[in-house]
Amino acid sequence: MSAAASIKARRGGLAARRAIIGGLGWAACGLALLLVIGPLVDIVGVVSWHGASAFSVKLFTTVTNGTAGGLLNAIEGTAVITVMAMIIAVPVGVGAGIYLSEYGNNKLGSVIRFLSDVLTGTPSIVLGYFSYIVFINALGWDFSALAASITIAILIVPYLARITELALRQVPNAMREAGFALGASEPAVVFKIVLPGAASGVMTGALLALAISVGETAPLIYTAGWSNYLWNGKLTHEPIGYLTYVIWTFIDQPYAASHALAYAAAFIVMMVVLAINIGVRLVVRRGKAV
Amino acid sequence: MKLINKTSRMAALRGGVAVLALAGAIGAAGVAHAATTLVETGSSLLYPLFNIWVPDFTAVNPGIQLTTTSTGSGAGIAQSMKGLVQIGASDAYLSDGIVKKHPNMLSIPLAISAQTINFNLPGLNGDNIKLTGPILAGIYSGKITMWNDPKIAAINPGIKLPAHVIIPIHRVDGSGDTFIFTQYLSDSTPAWASTVRYGTAVSWPAVTGGIGANGNPGMVSALQANPYAVAYIGVSFADQVAKDSLGVAKIKNADGKFLLPTATTVGAAADSIVTTTPPDERISMVFAKGADAYPIANYEYAIINAKQPDTDTASAIQTFLTWAVTSGNAMKYLTQVHFLPLPAAIVTLSKTQIAKIN
Amino acid sequence: MGAVMKIKPFRLSLLGLSLLIPAALGAVVLFLLLYAGQAISFNGFGFLGGVNWNLGNLYSDPVMTRGVQVPSGADYGILVFVVGTLLSSGIAILMAVPLSVGAAIFLAEAVPGTIRPVLSMLVELVAVVPSVVFGLWGIAVLIPLIGTYLAPSGNGYGLLAASIVLALMITPIIATTLLDALLRVPRENRESAFALGATHFEVVTKAMLPMVRTTLVGGIVLALGRAMGETMAVVMVSGGAINILPHSVFSPVSTIASFIVTQLDSAQSDPTNMAVRSLAEIALVLFLITLAVNACAKLLSSGALNVRSRQH
Repeated sequence: MSAAASIKARRGGLAARRAIIGGLGWAACGLALLLVIGPLVDIVGVVSWHGASAFSVKLFTTVTNGTAGGLLNAIEGTAVITVMAMIIAVPVGVGAGIYLSEYGNNKLGSVIRFLSDVLTGTPSIVLGYFSYIVFINALGWDFSALAASITIAILIVPYLARITELALRQVPNAMREAGFALGASEPAVVFKIVLPGAASGVMTGALLALAISVGETAPLIYTAGWSNYLWNGKLTHEPIGYLTYVIWTFIDQPYAASHALAYAAAFIVMMVVLAINIGVRLVVRRGKAV
Repeated sequence: MKLINKTSRMAALRGGVAVLALAGAIGAAGVAHAATTLVETGSSLLYPLFNIWVPDFTAVNPGIQLTTTSTGSGAGIAQSMKGLVQIGASDAYLSDGIVKKHPNMLSIPLAISAQTINFNLPGLNGDNIKLTGPILAGIYSGKITMWNDPKIAAINPGIKLPAHVIIPIHRVDGSGDTFIFTQYLSDSTPAWASTVRYGTAVSWPAVTGGIGANGNPGMVSALQANPYAVAYIGVSFADQVAKDSLGVAKIKNADGKFLLPTATTVGAAADSIVTTTPPDERISMVFAKGADAYPIANYEYAIINAKQPDTDTASAIQTFLTWAVTSGNAMKYLTQVHFLPLPAAIVTLSKTQIAKIN
Repeated sequence: MGAVMKIKPFRLSLLGLSLLIPAALGAVVLFLLLYAGQAISFNGFGFLGGVNWNLGNLYSDPVMTRGVQVPSGADYGILVFVVGTLLSSGIAILMAVPLSVGAAIFLAEAVPGTIRPVLSMLVELVAVVPSVVFGLWGIAVLIPLIGTYLAPSGNGYGLLAASIVLALMITPIIATTLLDALLRVPRENRESAFALGATHFEVVTKAMLPMVRTTLVGGIVLALGRAMGETMAVVMVSGGAINILPHSVFSPVSTIASFIVTQLDSAQSDPTNMAVRSLAEIALVLFLITLAVNACAKLLSSGALNVRSRQH
């Protein structure tokens, strides 16, 4: 065999090997993607299957009785906690976002931004324990809607601030300058020009924060307590039910009826969270394409 | 991070409607109720009974709303003391330390319960294997590790015990079941009494393969999922244990007899302490004297703060507790969870304690 | 600068609102610290190294130990939970990294641009599924699988189950970070690698991946921080160990976060409150660990920006 031919053959072999490695590599990557998406599909499937079969009119019209009955109290409680948390968090988060975007290009702004990131990274159970010590123990509020809502609010404020800031930064500076040139005051420029220009972004942030608060559990365990009844309007000294409580406690009970409630609650929570997230993403993508 | 980038790139969204609609719904739903609300938390052993009680009790007392939650006796005691709940449910009475520090706290028996020692031995679950306090103490401290250990084999002649490692399951939450189980081990085994002692939460010796479970429901699931395991489970879960075809052990009592928990043996244990029960009703029924007395039985307690913030709450608690120790002690409720009613003398003591709530 | 410094109420009120965020963080740290203070001085350094978490004898009179009233025999050590946290998160990272890298490469390079948004949205959606729903799925699907096919004792609850659930939860964080970085690799860099005769797979692994390495590491560290603080899913599938270090992947474990959730009930029954204070100390430890990890992630991601700008 001539030297040239052997080199050629070796090159051919090498190329084949490289092609095989490439093929295997792509297959592995595809498999990895399947392994990431597969469980999601399975989770949605399993929870929907068990959850939907537990659905009935009674589920939405009656309250929990022990480990059976309906979920009306839990659905209402989750809604109450979420809405109250949003009422507390949105003004703070959006206000902070405005400050950081409009006046935060300085040392103070970056310090606030950094600490806000630290708060985002703080495990939710740490926030829950803090609230237990302060609101339940020291202030003596007992398990209550207010303690639960404040805890959730602390959890979502940094997200709101961050998303608001990013949305506001997308508004072109020319619009602000035009406003000032017309003699508008700072508040007028922010509220009439910048904020409307970024309204959709701010709304997205609020919706994502809403999804987070509907799905949270750990910060609520030692702040909300649990109630079998509808909320009686008291902010403190009255425990309140919530959906995620049903999921993690009722699945541990040895009764079929309580398992059905756990799956039904999981199905409701999952659907709300996924619907918000899918909806936001679809709208975002459509906006981008235009 | 990506999420945020996407968001900032977005152009249009008309979704505020959803939030507003939700807020409106809440406004409509937040109707005030005039009822007095009571919250019960604690013992997962009492939880099924409370759930059976509540519909019937609220049917005759529509002015009272009673929420039940299952946490563990430790939480029942602690949250009742703090005033987080009105009724703490506990398989354990209050400790001397707590009573000294909080003289207003009452331990009021509601019913009589027992604990079963269960096992999951493939093929042998139909046999009532015999176990003693010292053997259980040995298993839970890692000194007896195999099912065919000579000590177990010696008292179970004729049963072919497997050469398999024992998996002891214990509670991780503060539990009255742990309290009465460790009390049985302490009473029957000096070595346990001097090291681990008893309580709603004890420092479990490290046992290779040992498992922690949450609540009685968690104990049943863990035992069912783990062949060759052993667990202590409140008798109100006996139906679940039977449904899962798990084994029930015969336990050696103070007189040296091996007994199963039945109405007769648990009743005998209760009878043995009726005359010695003090006015504050804090007394152990564990390892009671008597040939027929099942060794792991106990009063199920309501842990109540005698000083309630307002009279409505206080009278609602009194109404409920009085109902519980009278109508609630009817067999139609208790048999569902395998409890026994309080002896008449104990009902009287409980009523005297209930009268102290104000 | 002729204008007099005016007080601007609008700016000030906005500043006030934004200062609420650092204030909330400060309050969390301050109150945990104040509340844990007594426990910190009682536990000393043995806290981190101790294997036993012993509430002491709650049924006897509290005794004076090291200057404070505690139940007799009370001794709080959290090594088991620190190890549980590090192991479960560590194994989760080991599983998540290859999955995320593979998934991100596939999404960036092998999938047509038209269906890429759909698939990448699915990956992102994994991240928004609530922790407690992951836990439910773990109990319903994962635990029986592990118990039947893998665990020698037949018990599916434990370190492996916790790690798998955590891995699934953090994969999207790493995958989306990496996907974004891969899509931003300049076209010239890719094409020059092709021009050298590299196969498509070689272009990705030898030319593109090294460019985004720092971003990838930043994403991994960020995911690690998330995994260590994750609570509910771990509570539901980890088996809950106490006083014993794990000796295999099938051993039950507790993480710091899961231990706080399951133990507050028990801790409350300590009349001296030392157990609840010690739990506050644990919460502080968890806060400090996640803070350190997240700070690393932040440093890395800012470094990554520099690398990219140099390449332009």
